[in-house]
Amino acid sequence: MFRTKEKNEGIKLHGDIWKHIQPGEVVLDAQGITKRYPGGVLANDHIDFKIKAGEIHAMLGENGAGKTTLMSILFGLLQPDEGEIYVRGLKVHFRSPEDAIKMGIGMVHQHRKLVPAHTVLENILLGHPHSNGVIKSKEAEEEIMALAERYGFEIDLRAKVWQLTEGEKQVTEIVKALYRGAKILILDEPTSALTPVETDRLLESIETMTQDALGVVPFITHKLPVVLSISDKVTILRRGKVVDRLKTAEATEQILAQKMVGRPVIFNLQKPPADPGETVLEVEDLSALNNKGVLAVDHISFKLREGEILSIAGVAGNGQHEVAEALSGLREIESGRILFMGRDVTQMSVLDRWKLGIGYTPSERTDVGSIGDFSLVENIAMNYYFDNRYNRSGMLDYGGLRQLTKKIIDEFDVATPGPDVKIQTLSGGNLQKVILGRVLSRQPKLVIANLPAQGLDVGATEFVQRKLLEARSQKAAVILFSEDLDEILSLSDWIAPMYEGKIVAMIPAVEAQKDIIGAMIAGLHQES
Amino acid sequence: MTLGGYEVRLQRRVTLPGWKAALFSILAILFGLVLFSFIFLQAGQNPLEVYRQIFSYSFFNANGLGLTINRFIFLALASYAFIIPFQAGLWNIGMPGQLYLGALAAFGVVYLFGGKTGGLTLSQPVILALMLLAAMLAGGFMGGIAGFLKGKWNVNEIVVTMMLNFIAFNFVSFMIKDGGAFMNLGGRGESFELPEVARAPMTWGFPYTLFIVLILMALLQALFSRMSLGYRIRTFGKNPLAARYAGISALRISVLVFVLGGAIAGLAGYHYFGAVPGVYKIARTYAYFGDLSFYGVICGLISMGNPIATLFIALLFGGLSIGGRYAQGKMHLNFGVDYALMGVLMITLVAFQFFYHYQILLIKKEKKRDVAVSD
Repeated sequence: MFRTKEKNEGIKLHGDIWKHIQPGEVVLDAQGITKRYPGGVLANDHIDFKIKAGEIHAMLGENGAGKTTLMSILFGLLQPDEGEIYVRGLKVHFRSPEDAIKMGIGMVHQHRKLVPAHTVLENILLGHPHSNGVIKSKEAEEEIMALAERYGFEIDLRAKVWQLTEGEKQVTEIVKALYRGAKILILDEPTSALTPVETDRLLESIETMTQDALGVVPFITHKLPVVLSISDKVTILRRGKVVDRLKTAEATEQILAQKMVGRPVIFNLQKPPADPGETVLEVEDLSALNNKGVLAVDHISFKLREGEILSIAGVAGNGQHEVAEALSGLREIESGRILFMGRDVTQMSVLDRWKLGIGYTPSERTDVGSIGDFSLVENIAMNYYFDNRYNRSGMLDYGGLRQLTKKIIDEFDVATPGPDVKIQTLSGGNLQKVILGRVLSRQPKLVIANLPAQGLDVGATEFVQRKLLEARSQKAAVILFSEDLDEILSLSDWIAPMYEGKIVAMIPAVEAQKDIIGAMIAGLHQES
Repeated sequence: MTLGGYEVRLQRRVTLPGWKAALFSILAILFGLVLFSFIFLQAGQNPLEVYRQIFSYSFFNANGLGLTINRFIFLALASYAFIIPFQAGLWNIGMPGQLYLGALAAFGVVYLFGGKTGGLTLSQPVILALMLLAAMLAGGFMGGIAGFLKGKWNVNEIVVTMMLNFIAFNFVSFMIKDGGAFMNLGGRGESFELPEVARAPMTWGFPYTLFIVLILMALLQALFSRMSLGYRIRTFGKNPLAARYAGISALRISVLVFVLGGAIAGLAGYHYFGAVPGVYKIARTYAYFGDLSFYGVICGLISMGNPIATLFIALLFGGLSIGGRYAQGKMHLNFGVDYALMGVLMITLVAFQFFYHYQILLIKKEKKRDVAVSD
């Protein structure tokens, strides 16, 4: 209904377009890409860039800088309002990802688009044009294995996707894109879910791809060192515009961060010396199952005092999430005791834990931590509807809640048109500021922060981390769940690496060494 | 898509003021009426004349208005029975069963105090209060079963309420037909008639249940916009995981919304069999009213759970069902044309909700100036 003739030109030629490709040749040329959203948000404002064959060209930008929009346009998920895209000099118009794939563009999403119940092979073949309903798995398997071998991926085609780690899922997506003939590979936050070891391996594979004249475009919000280590060129986006483009060799972490955020960023947080007080949290012999009914937390014990930050370090899926949920009361436990301020709260309801002074910021910010369809005020009410200050004999004081929301917007520097807009209009970083502000404004005695800075840009990350340190200064006990070793090292007083449901060691931050902790969370090092 | 130099584009709305939502509903009704007039033309009738007959009988004729208001009260109560669980994201399809049980309980009170055999000695306020209470308790109990099963073990509430409907339907038969305790002494397959004292008093020709509807509207409006409980219900309805995180108990909310919804459905049963002039008994055709209560689902969905908007929709459908049947008989229209008209209006009302979410923009190709037209 909304098609026009001009959009079809070029798509038919896809078979020949990638012949005789030379390294260094411009393969993708985007000119003046502009995208406006309803409400007047200019997500992309005349963005130009070129991708060359055999080049790694990183796109860097904060949340809300327009990266996701640009990626979606390059992959045919969105149509630009203005601007043109040329693939090897041919003007293209992508109506859908199918068109983009036909033109040799491959996309590896941060939020994986795989079918969990299917095998790796089935996922790779799913929707492949050659399959045409009949899958010759024998041939396909050989081709896929050859591809994987070429780029140094270890892949088990028979495994079900739900059994895979995040790193293996990503490999599956990359191989899927390559098997479909991608010549330009877009990677969305490629290293955010990987362990240090997995990251190194991925970077090697990408290196091999460039030798085969593929253009690789990683989009990155944080993990600046990754940008520096792999890319040839960096384009930096801010507020929908290209603010700079430079050769990676000329850049430093400080320069990139400053251009991305638009102001200098302090990488070393001011962490005052610890002044621990009484024990706030005591966990004894805690065990819990995960959603599949498998033992995920395996008899762990630890203590935490006020004014301290304890970090549970680990790769996703080693039981940290279950510990966080057990502490907040969201997950039933199999065995053990949880003592809060000397009181046994093991069987206490979630609501009573909130009232008692336990605050939880969940890692699933849109699914658990907020309600997209509700206004900011209604979202703030999630942790206040039971509070006597805002609940007078069953009636909610929406006026008071609105004042509180404004205060949190101010104190936590939330970018929003006002307290009455739906929270789904906020960017990821601002959403997290609202959630953190909501929880910390209750001045909880125990803060359970589950991946508080994951996926946030440099500016928001720094802000969130500073707020956690502030809570620590105000005598809260903070338990931080994080997969980012740099974050852990800069914030913690105690570090507890977790592997397969067990706490491997309890290390005072002053004695912590990054490589040892890295080995511990990968299961390579056992404390003797 | 292009149209004579203009590009037509759909754009998502960011906000929608209340008056605009109301305007789109009125446009939808007008559009539906225009659409349906082709059916009347096909049948050789002047559509304007048919509509005049329908609306003048249902809203401007003393007889018709009485019938309309009684229908309206019933539909409004059935809608509220649906809306409360709906705000919690749960589907109450059990209004028939809940209203059957509510009616049985109200009649049961009369029966217990000797009302079947003429020995009822309680004063009118007492017997009415007891009947109302019994109807609400019974309906609430019936709803509570589904709510408990949902909250405790996540048993699908649609299946449970549907199945309970069958149980309640047959239970009514058991009570009022051959040999049942509530059987009419004449054995006509219906219940005994309420004695004079147990019949609902009338104000300006309308039963007092009309005031119950208006009070409920105010209460529900306050519940959802002001009260902590309403906030918890809406939170649970929008996102059960977030509700759990906020310490809201799924079991408590599920049971509560179904008990409240069921209690209101129980009132609907009380209304039709205990308060509508000329009925005052559980009629042989009670299943018709059970089916009619499903219009509550439709009213609730069209008004998107808004207790005030629901009343307008319920009034419209109440009037159409009465006026449509009248016009059909008077003008010798085809059988079922009244329900067909209501069906078409439902479709246009739901279809026009598209404009709640989108607006259509016409963009002039040359000058690139945006002109909004749908507003």
